[in-house]
Amino acid sequence: MPLANPPAPQLTRTRSAVTAANLWRAYGSGEAQVVALRDVSVQFASGAFTAIMGPSGSGKSTLMHCLAGLDTTDRGTVRIGETAITGLNDKALTKLRRDKIGFIFQQFNLLPTLTAEENILLPASIAGTKADPEWIARIIATLDLADRLTHKPTELSGGQQQRVACARALATRPEVVFADEPTGNLDTRSSGEVLRFLRRSVDDFGQTIVMVTHDPSAAAHADRVVFLADGQIVEDLHRPTADAVIDTMRGFENRVPLAGEAR
Amino acid sequence: MLRATLKGMASRKARLVLTSLAVVLGTMFVAAAMVLTATMEKSVSGVIADAFTGVDAVVTSAEDPAAAQGNTPSATLIPADVLDTVRGVDGVDTADGDVSGQVNAIGDDGKLVGAFAPTIGFNWNDQSTGYNEIRDGRGPQADDEVIVSAQFVTDAGLSIGDTVTAYSYSADRADYEIVGVFGLSGDRDSLAGETQMGFTTAEAQRLLTQGENAYMTIYVTGDAATGDIADAIGADYRVQTGEEASEEAAEGFAAVADIMGYIFLGFGLVAVFVSVFLIINTFTIIVAQRQRELALLRAIGAARGQVVGSVLAEAAVIGVIASIAGLGLGVLLGWGLSQLVSSSAMGGLPVELEVPPTSLWALAVGIGVTVLSAIIPAVRASGVPPVAAMREAVNPPKPLRGITIAGLAVTAVGGVLVALGLTDNLGDLGLTGFLTGVGIAFVGITLLTPILSRPLVALLGAVMSWSFSGRLGKLNAGRNPRRTAITASALMIAVALVTGIATIVSSFKETTAELADQNLDSDLIVMGQQGANIPTFAPETLAEIKALPDVSAVGDMYGEFFGAEVDGRQTALLASEDLPTSLGIFSGTVAEGSADLPDDGLAVNESAAADYGVELGDTVPVTFADGTEVPLRVSAILDDALLTDGWWVAPAQIEHFTVPKPMQAYIQVADGADVDAVQDQVDDILADEPEVSVTNNADFVEQQTSQLDILLNSVQILLALAIIIAIIGVVNTLVLSVLERTRELGLLRAIGMTRGQARRMITVESVIICLFGAVLGIAVGIGLGWTVQQALEEEGLTSFALPWDLIVTYLVAAVAVGLLAAIAPAARAAKLNVLNAIAYE
Repeated sequence: MPLANPPAPQLTRTRSAVTAANLWRAYGSGEAQVVALRDVSVQFASGAFTAIMGPSGSGKSTLMHCLAGLDTTDRGTVRIGETAITGLNDKALTKLRRDKIGFIFQQFNLLPTLTAEENILLPASIAGTKADPEWIARIIATLDLADRLTHKPTELSGGQQQRVACARALATRPEVVFADEPTGNLDTRSSGEVLRFLRRSVDDFGQTIVMVTHDPSAAAHADRVVFLADGQIVEDLHRPTADAVIDTMRGFENRVPLAGEAR
Repeated sequence: MLRATLKGMASRKARLVLTSLAVVLGTMFVAAAMVLTATMEKSVSGVIADAFTGVDAVVTSAEDPAAAQGNTPSATLIPADVLDTVRGVDGVDTADGDVSGQVNAIGDDGKLVGAFAPTIGFNWNDQSTGYNEIRDGRGPQADDEVIVSAQFVTDAGLSIGDTVTAYSYSADRADYEIVGVFGLSGDRDSLAGETQMGFTTAEAQRLLTQGENAYMTIYVTGDAATGDIADAIGADYRVQTGEEASEEAAEGFAAVADIMGYIFLGFGLVAVFVSVFLIINTFTIIVAQRQRELALLRAIGAARGQVVGSVLAEAAVIGVIASIAGLGLGVLLGWGLSQLVSSSAMGGLPVELEVPPTSLWALAVGIGVTVLSAIIPAVRASGVPPVAAMREAVNPPKPLRGITIAGLAVTAVGGVLVALGLTDNLGDLGLTGFLTGVGIAFVGITLLTPILSRPLVALLGAVMSWSFSGRLGKLNAGRNPRRTAITASALMIAVALVTGIATIVSSFKETTAELADQNLDSDLIVMGQQGANIPTFAPETLAEIKALPDVSAVGDMYGEFFGAEVDGRQTALLASEDLPTSLGIFSGTVAEGSADLPDDGLAVNESAAADYGVELGDTVPVTFADGTEVPLRVSAILDDALLTDGWWVAPAQIEHFTVPKPMQAYIQVADGADVDAVQDQVDDILADEPEVSVTNNADFVEQQTSQLDILLNSVQILLALAIIIAIIGVVNTLVLSVLERTRELGLLRAIGMTRGQARRMITVESVIICLFGAVLGIAVGIGLGWTVQQALEEEGLTSFALPWDLIVTYLVAAVAVGLLAAIAPAARAAKLNVLNAIAYE
């Protein structure tokens, strides 16, 4: 696949859930400085499933952290829906994450002291609000967690834990769900279940999902794959297949030497 | 390996400082106790040796003064002819007879001089001037002249040219002109706070030997052998060299310092004991932090022993540094305390600092405790398989069955020892057994705390669960029962000790109040503070009080406590001018006969009558201390009652008492009259009575128990030390929690927990741990207090009362401590970098 066309901000007819414009992010200073993001501009359509891929140190995790308001940017702006998040203080960012963003992590990150159900309701509990019971019931049914609700995380398998994490991420109907290598710690079967659920939540519930992964078959579940290398977007695939993803990766792995360690 | 250890330590300074502090505090108190004891001993013996300078031999009565206390004082006297015999012994240069004893002097304010320390009267002679230095004036030359110590001038507000009134228990008041003031060698005003009056020998004998021409001690100079003197005067007297006598006297004085030393040692050991928990916890934290590092060391070939060694080396370094610091501070503290004791209780005795070799024990204790406490975490660390530790740190909850069974067993052993110690089954070792039992029981209860933590933490947490972060805090507190328990245990021990003592004190107060309430039907009480002499007042005063218009009845009590015999057995005798009225006020009742005693009548309670085998109408021989022997007839048998038990003689016999003056009066105020007004009137009547004062019933109870309050306060101040250590422990545990749960905190922050909520979560965990410790401590303390009260019930501690105000205070304090301890860890949790926390592995 040729890389001749420089990636441009994707302008779609649908509303954009997350918008990044001219993002710069560097770590360290002087000679030890590592530039993780170089002038990245990207939009993520509402109701779409987007994967971010790239080799180690390409900046894909940094991009996600900046988009999710977990990391600050040096230059550029990030908007979640209509809200510009760059420049918000910690309190406002915290509230934004609580109300508008869902997270799924590689290590599941469930609270061991809480039951599966309590973990699912955690964001609402923190906010001091009541989750929509019908919505929660629907997610739980979709994820097939009904008979696991009273279990503690240690009593659940990895796949079940990640499904609980998925339910938690969706529980508040966030503007966008960020998934950081959600299948990284799972076997193939559990991976498939989680990915199929993410796919369904986009198709059936209109959820917006941004997923960082290095697994081509995981990326193949997405509507679109954005490739990062050396802090820049180098490729943008729509309706990808696993083979197309692998081809693309192979393509720029040959051309782009492995970048230095970035966070 | 050592290098790696030291470098590791440098990177964990704050934690090490906290741990060291615990060791420092413990060692400091142990060392201070030893320095205090040694310093006071040295200082006191220095002063006493001064007093005996130039004295070559000392003659005293062979009768043990302590055993002779109940007898007439004459039993321990040395008649004047013995002094003459001593003077005649070859090699005796001089021999001076010394008369000394307690006298009462009335100060400028009309009250007795020296409320807390005695006034000593003695005969001023040539020997006196060696050790005492006349500062002003001269010694007494006539029987109505007196030379007083500088402390007397300060306390009495009287000086040269003034007239002072003095008397003793056996001699009536007399006025003396102050003709001189003396100080003690070394420019001191007093040896130990006492005041002194020097009389002529004849006047001293009138006051102190009931006029007998006799002495208490003979001081001899010259090179006569003690054996020769002893041969000359016979076996009734004891002859010591000046040195021996000096040492013996010093021992008595040093006993005060010894007791204080033991108290401090006790608190030091409590502090050390509490430190053990803190050190164990800290090393568990350090090991947890180093788990990966240690696993890596194991993976690349370090033996288990090397891992243990590495942790123990760290402990040893902390132990050595902290113990040396503790020892140094302890010496300072010991010196400071010695100064305090000297100035407050020893009349400004010059303090000579003495650091005894035994204070090195403090060093050994500090280092030993640190290293021993680190062994458990060290061995546990070495047991982690390398591969397991390289993965995510998982601490699966261990079953609590073993520890619980061990805890029950140890607690039972401690309980049995406590019971044995309190029930006189251990003989002389009773107190030791009791204290050891308490210590063992504390260890046992500590082992039980993990299992107790589950329901208690859930219960305490339920109160805090109104907010979600509070609920999370509660869950976190219940997460690692062992750690929560060990942290709370430190607090528990301190709180248990204060609560235990507070419970005993409040039980004493309650008992006293009930006694007064149930047995005393009076509104006002006239009595004095019990000193070496029993306080009395003039009989005319009693009549004046009875004559007051608003006084409806007055009960009175005379007493003879030494030297009287009934039917050949020594016993106390009581008397009342109006026994029927007094019985009414003291809640006493007549079983047989009449309380209106004829002059040869005798009243006695049932138990005593049965004990002596006497019945109504029997005639019993009674001997008074003045030697009068009369047959008295039992004309009343009284029911047993707390305040009226004993032998009562008729008012006509009072003249035979050693002190024919009333000791106490109990006043009933007429119905509707103003008690306060009557109290003021009685107060006016008592203006000339230096020994007694009038109080109402509530003040009476307060007065009786005020000493206990002082004791309780001292204990609370000293145990604050243990509480400080406990706080450090809570801080440590919380920091560990925050460290271990970095990822969780990161997640919570990522999904929208605010900094305030994160802080609240940690704070709730802290408060729960502290409350758990306090609740447990209060429960154990109440148990302890109850046990002691039960054991002392026979001795008269009949009521059990809880110190509610203090219990509430301790609970509030526990919450405050929890809030305080949470400040730093909560700030740490709130400031956590979310991104790093999520990436943290």
